[in-house]
Amino acid sequence: MDRWTAPRTGRSRRPLALLAASLALAACGSASPTPAGSAATSGAAEAGATPTTGGTLSIAFQGDIGSLDPAIGYDTVSWPAERLLFDTLVTYDAGTRIVPLLARTMPTVSADGRTYTFDLRDGVDFVRPDGSVLRPLRAADVAASLARLLDPKLKPAPDPAGADFYADIEGADAVLAGTTSTLAGVKVLGPTRVEFDLARPDATFLQVLALPFASIVPAEVAGEDTTAFAAHPVGSGPYLLRSYTKGQAAVFIRNPHFWDASRAGPDEIDLRVGVDGQAALQQVEAGSLDLMGDPLPAAAFGAVTADPRFARQVVRRTLVETQYLAMDTQPPAGSPLADVRVRQAIAQAVDKSYILKLVHGAGVAAGCIFPPDLPGYDPSCDPYPYDPAAARRLLAAAGYPNGFSTTLYTDTDDPDPRIAGALRDDLAAIGVRVDVVAQAFDTYLATIAAHKAPLAWNGWVQDFPDPSDFIDPLFSCASAGVGNSSNPAFFCDHAIDALAARARAEPDGPARLADYREIQRRIMAQVPWVPVRFPDYYTLVGSRVRGFALHPVWIDDLRSVWLAT
Amino acid sequence: MPADGRRERPSRWRRVAVAGALGLLGLAAAGPLLAPYDPAHAFRDAGLSAAGYPLGPGGAFLLGTDPAGRDELSRLLAGARPSILVALGGSLLATAIGLIVGAVAGFAGDPLIDLGGRRLRLPVESLLMRTTDVFLGLPPLLLALALTAVLRPSLLLVLLVVGLTLWTTVARVVYGRVHSLRDAPFVEAARALGVGPGRVLWRHVLPHVSAIVLVYLALGMAAAVLLESSLSFLGLGLPPAEVDWGSMIAEATPFALVDPRLVVLPGGALMVTVLTFVLLGDAAAGPVARGRR
Repeated sequence: MDRWTAPRTGRSRRPLALLAASLALAACGSASPTPAGSAATSGAAEAGATPTTGGTLSIAFQGDIGSLDPAIGYDTVSWPAERLLFDTLVTYDAGTRIVPLLARTMPTVSADGRTYTFDLRDGVDFVRPDGSVLRPLRAADVAASLARLLDPKLKPAPDPAGADFYADIEGADAVLAGTTSTLAGVKVLGPTRVEFDLARPDATFLQVLALPFASIVPAEVAGEDTTAFAAHPVGSGPYLLRSYTKGQAAVFIRNPHFWDASRAGPDEIDLRVGVDGQAALQQVEAGSLDLMGDPLPAAAFGAVTADPRFARQVVRRTLVETQYLAMDTQPPAGSPLADVRVRQAIAQAVDKSYILKLVHGAGVAAGCIFPPDLPGYDPSCDPYPYDPAAARRLLAAAGYPNGFSTTLYTDTDDPDPRIAGALRDDLAAIGVRVDVVAQAFDTYLATIAAHKAPLAWNGWVQDFPDPSDFIDPLFSCASAGVGNSSNPAFFCDHAIDALAARARAEPDGPARLADYREIQRRIMAQVPWVPVRFPDYYTLVGSRVRGFALHPVWIDDLRSVWLAT
Repeated sequence: MPADGRRERPSRWRRVAVAGALGLLGLAAAGPLLAPYDPAHAFRDAGLSAAGYPLGPGGAFLLGTDPAGRDELSRLLAGARPSILVALGGSLLATAIGLIVGAVAGFAGDPLIDLGGRRLRLPVESLLMRTTDVFLGLPPLLLALALTAVLRPSLLLVLLVVGLTLWTTVARVVYGRVHSLRDAPFVEAARALGVGPGRVLWRHVLPHVSAIVLVYLALGMAAAVLLESSLSFLGLGLPPAEVDWGSMIAEATPFALVDPRLVVLPGGALMVTVLTFVLLGDAAAGPVARGRR
């Protein structure tokens, strides 16, 4: 957020952008091939048309690029930009299926799930920003890139999320501790063959290899100084960085040596920053901008979606995001929130249908933690329906018949303060007096991380489509520490930690998802959250843009877009 | 300039200004009582369209509703009080500080005092006026940011920010006036007759400053209203539960293109208020320009 460039303060895995309600960000993982209500693809009438090459595509974001170095750039602006410059071993198709990218085929996986062997594509070159070829890609680059990601000496600082995602690779601990710079678990078996050994089986391993963190870079050029590498990035992706002016724009041009010579797409991509959603919307309407990086502003949503001129240009997706009211489960002594009955009373006092109305119906009411397009979603999970009378009885039973006073924190981006106001009114109806404090997004995250927010209006967007991404960062004891903003409820239950560790290592399948549903049920029994809304993401795309669909993971997938001539 | 002072400046504008100012004071006092509804009450069903958008003027809500389904007219009326309270209080505070600092610095200068044979120059004027210069260079929003980092947003905090940033102009003007009067013959005459310094300042010097102070008091109100609404617009003003015109504009900004009414109404109220105070300043300036005593 200007927000979309979420600051990185957490120790544990953080979502990209995550947050905040505003959150706007993000995406939806449709696990099913044709999810209901997903995605109009832009230029639907031209579906089937052959992509063409040429033209200049423009996209505008409010927030700036955090970093173009894939080892640390972790937000909704940096990711689409990094994916223009770099490749990963595997990636997602138009949905959430993992497909090979730099790998020639999908890896062979050992029976115990701990060894993955990849064969790399031939003819891949690293190309300098000036268009000259540095050298061909080698298997050793895979090992060096992952070791670099885990290097504690990265300047200005490594991203803790980056380290956390790959901690299961054998030898990762030693690299993280700084005792060696060689990652023992990534073995070079030949010029184009590489093997990963994991310390424990991990059903999410291919998902994390698809994240831009795991981009393959020429380590001798990248070095430890991420600022220098971000200024002159050398990768194997379809575009080269021609220029970047902080606070203004980054310009990308086609890589003439890209390994897939048949790839079509714009000759140039201009990524503008510092453009707020309202301005970006007007520019797309006027035809001077092709894509809005941020979602359609909530207030303009009705007018734009009802306008027949734009009927073919509005693209919608259900987000894999949950917006929720977090309640501090480890509050200071004497706080009413320590009592689970009080938290349940708050959960039953929230009228979610009214909040959906405030955001003009963009989304559906949330009953539990997992959103509908996340594997493990449980439509029957809704333990605390709206019932203010029951809420008042619970408060009385907990010893607060006359309610109490508390504070709710939110960020300042519309519609979050309006939603916080609705929550305040809902709680006032059961006697809980709420003081709403709206803070700029960064300040708000710092308040949460400092464990100073009894109540926080927040959101979580998936990093990758797996239920572990909605449990480990949000409800683990490891994430419940001061300094981390991803677990605003400060929820910590060692029994649930143990269940989550087991489920994470299980092989993919119905049994694993059933375990995650059980974990969700047990967490909800302690009411750390009032899940409120699974939001929809809407955007307006320019009339000449083709091939654009909001991607479940990437949101803005600039690699698939082309321009009608 | 015509010899007849009464024809030089029509008094119609002065009447308009005074009437307007009285009207605003009345609004601040009675506004919340005139409000047809509780300005904080969100009409969840009646106050929003089926799609969740604010209602236009007419029907049960004379000026429509805001994005949360609250009555716009009631909020405008309730918002008058903090805006005008800050205008009056902030400007009075600023003028009082400015008057004291400017008068003391201009009148006392850097006096020589006798400490048992050692003569010492007391830098009263230098200290006060350099402090004024420092405050002149202080951006009000930065000061507000710093203060809100320590204190919770409140009406008092806004008053403080307004008072602490607007006093410097008054101090400069008063200082200049008093400084030039300090050695005027009639002041020296008073001194020679043995009148004490406090009485000289109070009875002989300050009366010559009062008119211009009144002008700045009125103009300060206009500046205070604007500053207060800027602070509220940035979320540094009143706590979110309270209403004032600046925060109404801030809340309506996302809807500015969809429903301009939500920005135009509080913006218009703000404009009329500022205009009234500027006219009041002009009206007070009339006698000053004519040199009336």
